[in-house]
Amino acid sequence: MRLLFLVCAALFGFSVQAQDVLGDLRDQGLGFAQVTPGKVLEFPRDHGAHPEYRIEWWYLTANLSDSEGRHWGMQWTLFRQALSPEPVAEGWQSNQIWMAHAAITTPDGHFHAQRFARGGIGQAGVTRISRDGYFNAWMDDWQWRSNGAALFPAELSFTIGEREIILTLETTGALVENGINGYSQKSAQGQASYYYSQPHIQVSGFVTQDSDKTDLSGQGWLDREWSSQALAENQQGWDWFSLHLNDGHKVMVYQLRHDDGNHWLSGNWITPNGEKQLLDRNAISLSSTRTSAIETGANQVRDLPLDWQLSLVNQKRSWRIRPLYDQQWMDTSIPYWEGVVLVEDEQGNPAGVGYMELTGYQ
Amino acid sequence: MNTGFYWILKALLSHYWRHPWQTLFLTIGLVAGVGLWSAVQIINQHAEASYQQAQSLLGAQASHWIRSRRDEGIDQSTYIELRRAGFRQLIPVIELEVSNAAGVSISIIATDLLALPETVFDGEQSNQDFSKTWLDFVQPPYRAWVPAVLAAELDLEEGAQLELRDGRKLPPALIQAREQQGRRVLVDIGAAISLSGSNRFSYLSVGEITPAEYVRLVANLPGSLELIENQQHLDLQQLTASLHSHLTAMSLLSFAVGLFIVFNAVRFSLWYRRATLLDLRLMGCDLRHLMSAILLETLVWSLIGTALGFVLGVALAQVLLPGLGASLQSLYGATVDAELGLSAWTLLQAWSITLIGLLWALAWPLYRQLQRSSLEAGSTDVMLADETIARRRLAFAALLLACLAWVAYTQIETVTQGFAVLGIILFAAAWILPFLLARALSLVDSLLPQRHLLARWMISDGWSQLPALRSAMMALLLALTANLGVGSLVDSFRDAFVGWLEVRQSADIYLRTPNLDYQALETSAGNASWLADSHHRIGVSARWRDRPALIRGIDPRATDSLVLPLSRWQGESAASARQAWREQPARVLVNEQVHFLAGVEIGESIALQTDNGLREFEVVGVFYDYGNPYFQFYLPDDVVASNWSHHYSRGIALWLNPQNKSAMQQAESSLKAMGAQPGDWISQAQIRRLSVGIFDRTFAITAAMNLLTMIVAAIALLASLLAILHERMPQFAQWRALGLRQSEQLLLVAIPLLVFCAIVWLLSIPLGALLSWILIHKLNIISFGWSMPLVWEIGPALQLAVVVLLICAATLLSVSFQWRRQMPQALAQLGETV
Repeated sequence: MRLLFLVCAALFGFSVQAQDVLGDLRDQGLGFAQVTPGKVLEFPRDHGAHPEYRIEWWYLTANLSDSEGRHWGMQWTLFRQALSPEPVAEGWQSNQIWMAHAAITTPDGHFHAQRFARGGIGQAGVTRISRDGYFNAWMDDWQWRSNGAALFPAELSFTIGEREIILTLETTGALVENGINGYSQKSAQGQASYYYSQPHIQVSGFVTQDSDKTDLSGQGWLDREWSSQALAENQQGWDWFSLHLNDGHKVMVYQLRHDDGNHWLSGNWITPNGEKQLLDRNAISLSSTRTSAIETGANQVRDLPLDWQLSLVNQKRSWRIRPLYDQQWMDTSIPYWEGVVLVEDEQGNPAGVGYMELTGYQ
Repeated sequence: MNTGFYWILKALLSHYWRHPWQTLFLTIGLVAGVGLWSAVQIINQHAEASYQQAQSLLGAQASHWIRSRRDEGIDQSTYIELRRAGFRQLIPVIELEVSNAAGVSISIIATDLLALPETVFDGEQSNQDFSKTWLDFVQPPYRAWVPAVLAAELDLEEGAQLELRDGRKLPPALIQAREQQGRRVLVDIGAAISLSGSNRFSYLSVGEITPAEYVRLVANLPGSLELIENQQHLDLQQLTASLHSHLTAMSLLSFAVGLFIVFNAVRFSLWYRRATLLDLRLMGCDLRHLMSAILLETLVWSLIGTALGFVLGVALAQVLLPGLGASLQSLYGATVDAELGLSAWTLLQAWSITLIGLLWALAWPLYRQLQRSSLEAGSTDVMLADETIARRRLAFAALLLACLAWVAYTQIETVTQGFAVLGIILFAAAWILPFLLARALSLVDSLLPQRHLLARWMISDGWSQLPALRSAMMALLLALTANLGVGSLVDSFRDAFVGWLEVRQSADIYLRTPNLDYQALETSAGNASWLADSHHRIGVSARWRDRPALIRGIDPRATDSLVLPLSRWQGESAASARQAWREQPARVLVNEQVHFLAGVEIGESIALQTDNGLREFEVVGVFYDYGNPYFQFYLPDDVVASNWSHHYSRGIALWLNPQNKSAMQQAESSLKAMGAQPGDWISQAQIRRLSVGIFDRTFAITAAMNLLTMIVAAIALLASLLAILHERMPQFAQWRALGLRQSEQLLLVAIPLLVFCAIVWLLSIPLGALLSWILIHKLNIISFGWSMPLVWEIGPALQLAVVVLLICAATLLSVSFQWRRQMPQALAQLGETV
């Protein structure tokens, strides 16, 4: 699910305090290309930008560890937003705007950064993919560059303050199309997006700060999603999880919280050999087990559900999910919680790691 | 509070509600003085604060600039490459100068809001309208953010598109402004590119940068660009210091004139309160209590004066700021925020100066009154004798001041010292005035025929009026002198400036554009029909002796170079100096600023930093360069080209064929055909209009201050006459009872007043000339570094005579009205009083 709504809110709403930051998203996205079932995703073309759709992102997270076995985490996201449905203009007249977020969860704390840039001038973008080209997504000196037209193998480099992060990304499995062949429905009213993931990413690299260099390795997760209209009137926000289980399985689940408590749940269960099983609301049981007050700004505290219980009915498995530490708040134009979580089985044994995203909490 | 003290205070202050006119005039004097002074202080401090902000660009820190060495602007791809190399502190900027259909110059600044650091928008993002405003700004049809003051001046309404001289239109206006926008119109960089037709940036602003990043940035810069430290705030402070000193001096003068009213009012309050003071002393009141009460009264008045005066000052500053802001922007490139910022410090200063003024004008005379022996104080004879002594003492002090001014004049080195000397001269003149008026009265008295009794009565009544009118006459003298002196300065400057423009800007068209090949323009056969002559100038920006400087390469044989007006030269004549300069590559012409401000004399050598290190050039001539705040050096163009590889074009001057009636139209179409954009060139007429416009606007504040000072002086006169009326009403009633008609009585008051005013006016003429002589020959040179001949005409003095007569007529009219109102009561009281 990701920041589907968040990005639009950030770019259109640009408002931290606004009570209804997602309001702009509830219009019908008229004039933009619409997400419809039955479209066949085509690669590498669909790795590139879809400027005829209103919103789009390239969203990487990774659960990493250092030589001492300590947990680290990384998030790097590039968001695209079309300001109007007219054809894209090149140069400064372009109607495309880009936003990038990056964060790193370290044993010493969580650090994040945010950037903006206009389209059309080369400051940010995703290169159009051709068969002999290579994939490149960038903003200023933040860059994800692959060796070819495919997304991986690639090198990701970015900085957060004084920290410079350089990671090599390689895959060991196929892409996973979420929903029905990449058509991911978000509500009973028909809101939807095109959505695919790459849950099998091997990550290695290092973080440097001043003269300190820390080698890191682990596993990453990519989400690619684009849409023109995604949020239903009665949806407040969402809770999203991507989990790398120790037995090689991957789980992605999210719930879109509805005003009436009748939340929209969806997800995917992916076996080590890449087979996937679509999870619908009847197959998922998700509940919060601990709410904690998090300092989210100057003199501002929010109550966030940070510990969760997840059960998959068909798999007959259940996990407890808790953050590596509570303070992984993204104090960006639209603030949200995104960070490393640890997964335990029913007996309390470590069962995996993952990323959690919580949005729309006032 | 001690009960005794309370009653003393009450008794003293009761005067003010028993004599509301006195109270009113005291208040007016204080408020006018404090108001005029604080208006200028508020403007100065506001400008100062704006200069400090020159370290920032629209709220983002700007520690350095990246500029093209050849003034060619910066290519977009270079900017993107630098951003992609991690230099996120770079902000692209385009600055444009355009003019509207009426020829009013408008500065445009354009940037990419997305490139500004997010901290710039702190506190704004919670505003619901912010995102819409922001999104409208960055996408076609864009928005032009126009400061309210500028919008009002241009008569521009929200949503309207300002049409430019060449028919282009600015994006729809939104009446709002960001920090440090000043009087400029802010647009998105995309809009500026559409408007200018060029996709190059004027410069890149560099935000906070670490030493390591600085080194890396220098290494990453293409050779055509240079990284320059932003010293604008220092430069601006230095360049504008003199202008602000001038304003301060004007405001102090206004304050002094205001204080004369206070002094005048206090004099009468003393007159009325001498009985009260005497009674209080006779009743055995403690002298310390009386003193404390006087000090408290002073304190209260200072608070009232400061509070009301400051309110007036803020209102005045708001009226005066736009004009001054526009001038500072045109002359120095200084961005002064259109919205006024106030500081507690200014308020505190206003209060301090008011308190000091009141201690001198109110507390000191009261204290003197107290010091007298109790019985003496009540006597009228003593008062009159006091007047004579006071006049003599003042005259003696004035002579001392005049001597001091004479000595100090030779020592003037700074603007402040110059104004101090002017202040001393003005005060010397004011202090000797009562003595001169008395002498004049004696003289007229002795000249009048013995038989003409009414005339003799009128003159001798002048002796009764003199003490009362003394302060008002001093105020009038100051106001008249300042008007004449400053007026003459402005006229001289205007004459010199317009004459200089005619010689210096002799070409018909000035063209500056990167889109056109100047050489092709000069040599193209197609242009021969309209183009008579041309002059392509080159230049290099530099710093010399810690100030911005421009080294210009001009064609020594071009039409305008041959007649370049010089104020000083080496050898026999200006023409021979110009010839020597043409023929010797190691010779330089410098502007007057180099001569006067940097003290460089003819024949001296100056060192300029060239590509091959420092090189010496001998100064053979000094040229006039009015209004230029920078140092400027003229060298033959080949010398500049060979010594500075990064020289750039400063445009080309074109002379049209005078035989060809449609030369201008042909020129414009040829220039367009060759690639120039409308707006790349400007005609001589437009340059003159713009220059004179800037000139007039700069001196508008001077004219306003002059006018206000005159108004204050007029109020002083009215206050004095009303006080005389009030004071002498019983006497006038007696005269009326003896059969004197009202018109005769009015004449009795009017004639001495007219005699005094005539003397003041006469005295103000030589004083005004002296003032303008010192302003032009001393202060202007120290402040701005250029000289000009003094223009002195009798016209303004005659105009002022009319103004003085009008003031007298108005005050007499008002007095006669009061007279008529109060006479019946005074007549009824005859015999009861005096």
